[in-house]
Amino acid sequence: MKTRRTVGIVDYGVGNHVSVWRAMHALGYRCRVTEEPAVLDATDVILLPGVGAFPPAMQAIEAKGLVEYLRSQARSGKPFLGICLGMQLMADASTEFGLTAGLGLIPGRVEPLRQAAWHIGWNTFEVVGGDPLLRCIDGQSVYFNHSFVFDAPPEYCVGVARLEQPFCVAVRRDNVVGLQFHPEKSQASGRQALRSVIDGLCDA
Amino acid sequence: MGVITVRSGWAVQSFGYRRWLPLGRPEVLAENLDRWGVDEILVQAIDRSASRSGPDFELLDRLGRIGLATPLIYGGGIATVSDAARVVQSAADRVAVDALLHDDADEVRRISGHLGAQAVIGALPLAVHDGGLHWLDHRTGRESELQPDIVELFRSGVASEALLIDWRHEGSAGAFDQQLLRSFPVSGVPLIAFGGLSEAQQIRSVLGSERVAAAAIGNFLNYSEHAVQRYRRQLAGVPVRPASFSSKGQQ
Repeated sequence: MKTRRTVGIVDYGVGNHVSVWRAMHALGYRCRVTEEPAVLDATDVILLPGVGAFPPAMQAIEAKGLVEYLRSQARSGKPFLGICLGMQLMADASTEFGLTAGLGLIPGRVEPLRQAAWHIGWNTFEVVGGDPLLRCIDGQSVYFNHSFVFDAPPEYCVGVARLEQPFCVAVRRDNVVGLQFHPEKSQASGRQALRSVIDGLCDA
Repeated sequence: MGVITVRSGWAVQSFGYRRWLPLGRPEVLAENLDRWGVDEILVQAIDRSASRSGPDFELLDRLGRIGLATPLIYGGGIATVSDAARVVQSAADRVAVDALLHDDADEVRRISGHLGAQAVIGALPLAVHDGGLHWLDHRTGRESELQPDIVELFRSGVASEALLIDWRHEGSAGAFDQQLLRSFPVSGVPLIAFGGLSEAQQIRSVLGSERVAAAAIGNFLNYSEHAVQRYRRQLAGVPVRPASFSSKGQQ
C-alpha cells in the first residue's frame, strides 16, 4: 500500500499557508506547516508559498535562518515547489523595491512585468517544451496575481502566459519547480497541477 | 466576481446601504460560489469599520476551513498592516480597503508595501449627481469629493484595482450607473464595477469598457443556483471563462 506523502510548507511568516494547507489536504497529502528544519527533513516535498513583496519575504527567511537550509535541500535533490512569491524567491535576485538577493535555486532575475502594471485574474497556461509535470494543464485557465515576473533563461522556463507577449510563469531545474500562478486557488486545474507536480517530483 | 455582504456575522442581501435581509451563513454562500465556479469571491463585512472591531477573523477562520479553491478577497475592519497581513495569512488572497482610505491613506500605502500592490483593492462607494463624482463614507453617510490624495494613491499604483460601488443602486436590478466608470478620474487602474449589476446585456456593456477588469455581483447570484453558469452562457463572446467551468472538476 502506498504511503501518503507529506508536504512540508515553509512557514516564514509571509504567505497564505491556510489556503495552501487546505488544498494539499483536499488532495490527500499530509502537511506540516513549520519553520523547523528537523520537521521539514521528515517530509517528502518542500513547498515554499508566499504572498507579498520580495524584500520583506527574503528578510523573513533570513531572520528564520532558513536560507542555507533551503539551498541545501534544493541541492540535495529533494522535491521542492515554490508558489507565486515562493517561486520568485527561487531566483538569483529581484529588483522589487531595489535589488535584493534571492535563494538562487534557479538562474534568473525577478523584474517588473513590462506589458502591464499587473497580471491579475484568470489566464491561460501554456506548457513549454512539453514538461511532463505540467502537460496536464496545458491550455487551461489558472489564477494569477502578480506584478513582477521571473525572467529565467529559456532552458529553465517550462510554462508561459500571454498578455501581448508571452512571459515565463513556470520554471524548473530538475527537482525544483516554481509556479507563478496560484494552483491552490485555480480550482480543478490548479489541483490537477499540484498533484502532477508533487507526485511527479516524488516519483522521479 | 461573486460578492458576499456580511453584517453582524450573517450574510445579507443589501439594498442601497440602508436595508438588509438575511441570507444565511457566509461560509455556506462562499462554498456555493466556489462550487459554481465563480472567478473570485469578495467577502465584505460592512459593519466592522464603523464598530472599530477590526477584521472578522472568526469568519475568516471559518472560510479557511472550507478550503476554497477560488480566490478570496476580504474587506471589512482592516486598519493596519498587521490586520492586512493576518487577513492574508488566515484565508484571503487579497484585501479590500474602504474606510481606511478615509482614515489613513498612508497606512494603505504601507499595506501595499508589505503585501504588494497586487494584493490591495481600493473600494469606493460612489455616486454621480449634481454634476460631479461623490465619495461616500458609509459610516457617517456623508459624501465628499474624491480627495486629491486618494486620486494620487490610485494613480501611483498603491492599489492594483479600484472597486467602484454604485451604492445608491446596490441591490436594484439593472440599475448600475455606468457614469461612475466614465467619471473615475484615474486612467490606467483596472476597475471592478459593483452595485446593481444583474442583467447580462448590462454586464456585457460594462465589461466592454477597456477600463473594466471585472463585474462584481452580489444579491443576484443568490436567487438561483445556476446564476453563475447562466451569466457565463449569456456572455458568450466576452472574454470570460466558459459556462461549463466549475471548481469541482476532475482532480
